[in-house]
Amino acid sequence: MDVRVCGMFSAAVLIRLVLLLFGVYQDQNLQLKYTDVDYHVFTDASRFITQGESPYSRSTFRYTPLLALILTPNVLLTAHFGKLLFVACDLLSGLLVLRLLALRGASHSTACVCCGLWLLNPLPIGVSTRGNAESLLAVLVLSTLLCLESRRRTSAAILFGLSVHMKIYPVTYALPIALSLAEAPSRKRGLIQNLIRCFSKDLLLFAAVSGSVFLALNVTFYCIYGWDFLHETYLYHVTRRDIRHNFSPYFYLLYLTAERSWSGSLALVCFLPQLLLLLLSSLAFRSDLPFCCFLHTAIFVSFNKVCTSQYFLWYLCLLPVVLPRLTLSLRRGFGLLLLWFVGQALWLSPAYYLEFEGWNSFALIWMAGLLFLLINSLILGQIICHYRPVEAQQKKTD
Amino acid sequence: MCNFYYLLATLLYFIHHGNSQKADNCFPSEFLESLSMSVKITKAGFHRDLQYSVQWGKVDHDVKALLVQKLPSGVYMDEYQLETLKQDTGLEVLLDSKVDLEAPEYLSSGFTALVFLSGKHEATVPVHGRYHRPSNSSQKRVTVDIESPRLLLRSDQCETLRARVHHAVTDAPCTVRNHSFCSWLEIRDLKDTGAVSLEIPVGDSSMILSVCVGTVLTAALSCFYLLRSIWKHGTF
Repeated sequence: MDVRVCGMFSAAVLIRLVLLLFGVYQDQNLQLKYTDVDYHVFTDASRFITQGESPYSRSTFRYTPLLALILTPNVLLTAHFGKLLFVACDLLSGLLVLRLLALRGASHSTACVCCGLWLLNPLPIGVSTRGNAESLLAVLVLSTLLCLESRRRTSAAILFGLSVHMKIYPVTYALPIALSLAEAPSRKRGLIQNLIRCFSKDLLLFAAVSGSVFLALNVTFYCIYGWDFLHETYLYHVTRRDIRHNFSPYFYLLYLTAERSWSGSLALVCFLPQLLLLLLSSLAFRSDLPFCCFLHTAIFVSFNKVCTSQYFLWYLCLLPVVLPRLTLSLRRGFGLLLLWFVGQALWLSPAYYLEFEGWNSFALIWMAGLLFLLINSLILGQIICHYRPVEAQQKKTD
Repeated sequence: MCNFYYLLATLLYFIHHGNSQKADNCFPSEFLESLSMSVKITKAGFHRDLQYSVQWGKVDHDVKALLVQKLPSGVYMDEYQLETLKQDTGLEVLLDSKVDLEAPEYLSSGFTALVFLSGKHEATVPVHGRYHRPSNSSQKRVTVDIESPRLLLRSDQCETLRARVHHAVTDAPCTVRNHSFCSWLEIRDLKDTGAVSLEIPVGDSSMILSVCVGTVLTAALSCFYLLRSIWKHGTF
């Protein structure tokens, strides 16, 4: 590790420690708390586990019991353990980004700059110092991709199974991973033979290992906590139709149609764009997994029925890995970034006035949500147009 | 024999009269007349504060006050927020049932909050509005009425309380820890403090068609744009 990398990591550690201390001060002295509500939810759930009860006794705890178990030192040692863990995961993500960039052939200086964009980015810094667990997922997803790039497929499968257990959205990566591990079809063989050949040894092994990890964890927790575990960890997120205001373009539609009998079919119709885009992008970019996963998550979040600012981190952690092969000019890049922030600001203003001043700004929030979708689509479109994917390696055919 | 019963009756009368004297001294009429209560609702939007204040004249023993506040399904209180406030500011509020923090108004029911007042006999309790059914008229807001709370008093110095014309004796938890029940005197003839109300913005059902069409069109447009970009630049 050279001086520049050391300096960058030191600065990252320092900033996070300062904010952690400031957060402690703010929580104790000001009415507006620095720590996120979610952190208290995790701590309460961990407390229930230490008392031998179900973590789902804490309402709004919608995560795996594994998370509450990991955070039991919050109750047994210090209430700040969780935040320190998330900050450590944040820094580890930076390290994984650096390794991944090196493996993909980026120059050392480019890798440093891209890594710096994550380590010194206020969004992940704020999210992890406030006690959100997104950096844990970032570590799992990045290490899965790193293992796949370095052909450590069994480790990748274990990490993938664990990621999907912790949060459901990485399950969308299954298709591009499967396509990248499958054998390329050959003109010499028939259709049926090609389909059978698709299921290569690597793919079957990956599916078996990740499937076993996922099932083992789920069966264990189902035996301990029963239906509550399945409902709160998975089903709630799949069937969730939050009618309260959020960034999703579908928010107002779901609020107004909440009690109509055809709202179910409408929800399914809204699922179609996500499905189509995920399928096509898996096929189109299967040779470049990090880019494919980035695209998957960005599409998933933008077209989802619920979207909060925490979700942005799910694809932001993959952006530094994608950046070196992006041929966008610096001016255009900054322009798109500015547009993204403007889109958020245009949503946040009417949302603030609705929630804290009681203005009826529902129509404005709806239009801002639609505009944000258009902006996100434009940005993604520009990224796709200006990206040079890694060439697919020629697989051996007979 | 008759003399004995006469003596017993007189003795019992004096004992009973003596006790009621004690109870009358507990909450004398001057004290009850000096009672006043005010309820205010502050802030705007979905997150409000209910400010309670109970006042009374000088009394020579410690009087504890309890406000029994019935709340409609249009609002909720966050038990976890109340727990944090209990540790930070000493606010003592007990909820009578588990309150769903996320459900809309039409899928929720009312509940009761018990506000234990101590010290300055004031309390500020945060309350949050729920999402209501969208309105199909041009009504932009819906009003949620919160009725006046019931005021209950007790004192550690008085063990027995006697019901009066305008006051009843009722049972309620002794403290916020809810370990035991005590007898409280409910004050019924307080000057009308007035119920408070808050206004919650609601969605506009008349826009349902334009919202459906607008949302689906925008999603379709974005989807088509991305599909085109992926098709043009992907490697198949």
